[in-house]
Amino acid sequence: MRVRTVISVSVGVALISLMLIWNADEPVRAHTLMVVANYVETAPAGLDDPKWQTARAVQLLVEGREPVAGANGTVTTRALYTKDRLFFLFKWKDPTQSTTKQSWMFDGPKWVHLKGNEDRIALLFEITRINKFATRGCAVTCHSPADVPKDDWKYATKTDDEKGDLWHWKAARSAPYNYADDAWLTVAGNPTGSYRETGRRKDVGGGGDLKNETPDGTRPLYMQNPAIKPSAPGFLLMDEVVKITDYSLFKTGDIIPYRLPLKPSGSRFDVKATSRYADGGWMVMLSRKLNTGHEDDVVFNPKKRYSFALAVFDDSGSEHSKATEPMTLIFSP
Amino acid sequence: MKKLKGNQTDTLSDMLALGDMIARLKSIRVPADALTWHRFSGSLLLVLLFLLFLSGAFMAFYYSPAPGAAYDSVDYALFSVPFGNVIKGIHYYSWNIFLIVMGLHLVRAFIFGAYKSPRQLLWVSGVLIMLLIPALIITGDLLPWDQNGFWTTQVRISIIASVPVVGDFIVRLIQGGPLTGIVALTRFYVLHILFLPALLIFLLVVHFHFIRHHGLSGPFFKDESLRPTISLFPQLVNRWLLLFLVVTLALGLISWYWQPPLGDPADPTDSTFVPRPEWWVLFLNQLVTVFKGSLTVIGSVIIPGGLVALLVALPFLDTSSDRHPARRKKVVLIAMVIALILLGLSIIGYVAHFNETHP
Repeated sequence: MRVRTVISVSVGVALISLMLIWNADEPVRAHTLMVVANYVETAPAGLDDPKWQTARAVQLLVEGREPVAGANGTVTTRALYTKDRLFFLFKWKDPTQSTTKQSWMFDGPKWVHLKGNEDRIALLFEITRINKFATRGCAVTCHSPADVPKDDWKYATKTDDEKGDLWHWKAARSAPYNYADDAWLTVAGNPTGSYRETGRRKDVGGGGDLKNETPDGTRPLYMQNPAIKPSAPGFLLMDEVVKITDYSLFKTGDIIPYRLPLKPSGSRFDVKATSRYADGGWMVMLSRKLNTGHEDDVVFNPKKRYSFALAVFDDSGSEHSKATEPMTLIFSP
Repeated sequence: MKKLKGNQTDTLSDMLALGDMIARLKSIRVPADALTWHRFSGSLLLVLLFLLFLSGAFMAFYYSPAPGAAYDSVDYALFSVPFGNVIKGIHYYSWNIFLIVMGLHLVRAFIFGAYKSPRQLLWVSGVLIMLLIPALIITGDLLPWDQNGFWTTQVRISIIASVPVVGDFIVRLIQGGPLTGIVALTRFYVLHILFLPALLIFLLVVHFHFIRHHGLSGPFFKDESLRPTISLFPQLVNRWLLLFLVVTLALGLISWYWQPPLGDPADPTDSTFVPRPEWWVLFLNQLVTVFKGSLTVIGSVIIPGGLVALLVALPFLDTSSDRHPARRKKVVLIAMVIALILLGLSIIGYVAHFNETHP
């Protein structure tokens, strides 16, 4: 073979390669953020279990919308699963621990509500496919578009066929019983006579909370039963109360919780929780069976991937949330 | 053929009146190296095609070709139907492996000069089959109606649309309109399961017709008449069936442990999704990236079209009777340069689209 031919071909290849490298595209980024659940043989024992270190920590950006637009933060998320349960560990900064939820305070002449609400974290999965949830996340379910008046926000799916699974951990109302309120999402309606239409429905079972107030709403109705040692100090569980018969017992500055957690049961009690507030932030571990067998729950198949979204609420009782973009949960073998 | 109990004279083949056909098949002699450990690509391609047809037929039982239902039907078939993941996995892995083996088949045919007279049209029919496979993949990619399939199709359609004169017409023809919606999905489905497979079968018949009449290319220097032979039936058929079983089992196991992908449901309004090109089109994608604007047609039509034309015309350009690569230095060198450029483009494309760090 002629040397000149070889040199010519080599130079040609080199020049073409250089041209192609010069024009190479910038790397593209993944469209959605992945949260990978790693498999473990045994369940993590708690928030500080070393098993959590085997799960990849993902920083999920949460951004506020009206009326907290502009606020943002991150929620560090890890996920693990065993052969029958899924576990999440969430950690986020929150300089103020809010568990008051408008507790009563006796100010001398009368009972008043303290300022302050509660911190929360909520997750939304698809039980059946919700149109565009995978690409728009909560924007298609969590409230109407921003140009719609706040009072008209529905928090619902668009059709009967679309169903969401909502896990709602509440620092004042579900944390005392170590669970996240398990609910589901469907088209807007008002089957329970709520104060407004919503798509939120409670899972089958007991749970939630009662307002601790007299029929005229001027003072608390219940107090801690002195015969029972409080199982969740700082909170007043409905199972551990007695009716107040003598209000003269209270002195100025006494505080009684306003919201009384009810003992959870059934499908509503599917999502177990462990939580701790420390070092200016929350750590919350949520866990649920992969398949609860309940119609109002998403079934997790480790071979599938699941779209989900997450929101955190800081001292909030309504829509004051910071939410993530849609994300994908995948199970690592 | 095993004799039936209670009847000592009639065999099953007699009862089915297949005796003559079996005798004819037994009388057909084929080269003993038609299917061996060092020559298997053609047989393997046939195995993979069978698996693609079979798995595709099973998947069609559950598939619903409408945008609102297509994704859910695939999701159901994949995760809720027993062994649905294996069936879809076999389909998925089969076409990926098919592309690789088809490449090997082409390279082998080129190295052994299998396109030389009298096998020119055998080569041409093989190239036509090779061109048909991407059409099957492109039409198949849209069917799950997931984000990647939908947006990859948009990229491909925009490339087709860039073809001068006929581009827009072809897009209208395959999409049935300006947008990728229910009509497009239906057309892709019909093309994927009916017209393209029918055309593929026709081309395969033509390919085998030429093999039957011109024979398989033999060793470089041996006398063809001294080549050992075996019978088509049962010897070659048994080897092929064994290969079929092994490949089916292997792909079944792979599919069981490594699930075929299914992305998020397609959202035609989500233009932020950036599809990643599949490995086999990385070089084409990179060509389109290199030639931008008014030059797009060079990367999308002229260069790929030129390469295809070169492949088709090869038997008529290289007309010497020499089959040994050492005696075809110029052709081999040109082929190597083209292969290196395509490989380089693919590597650059891979680096650009896959070698990234996730946050």
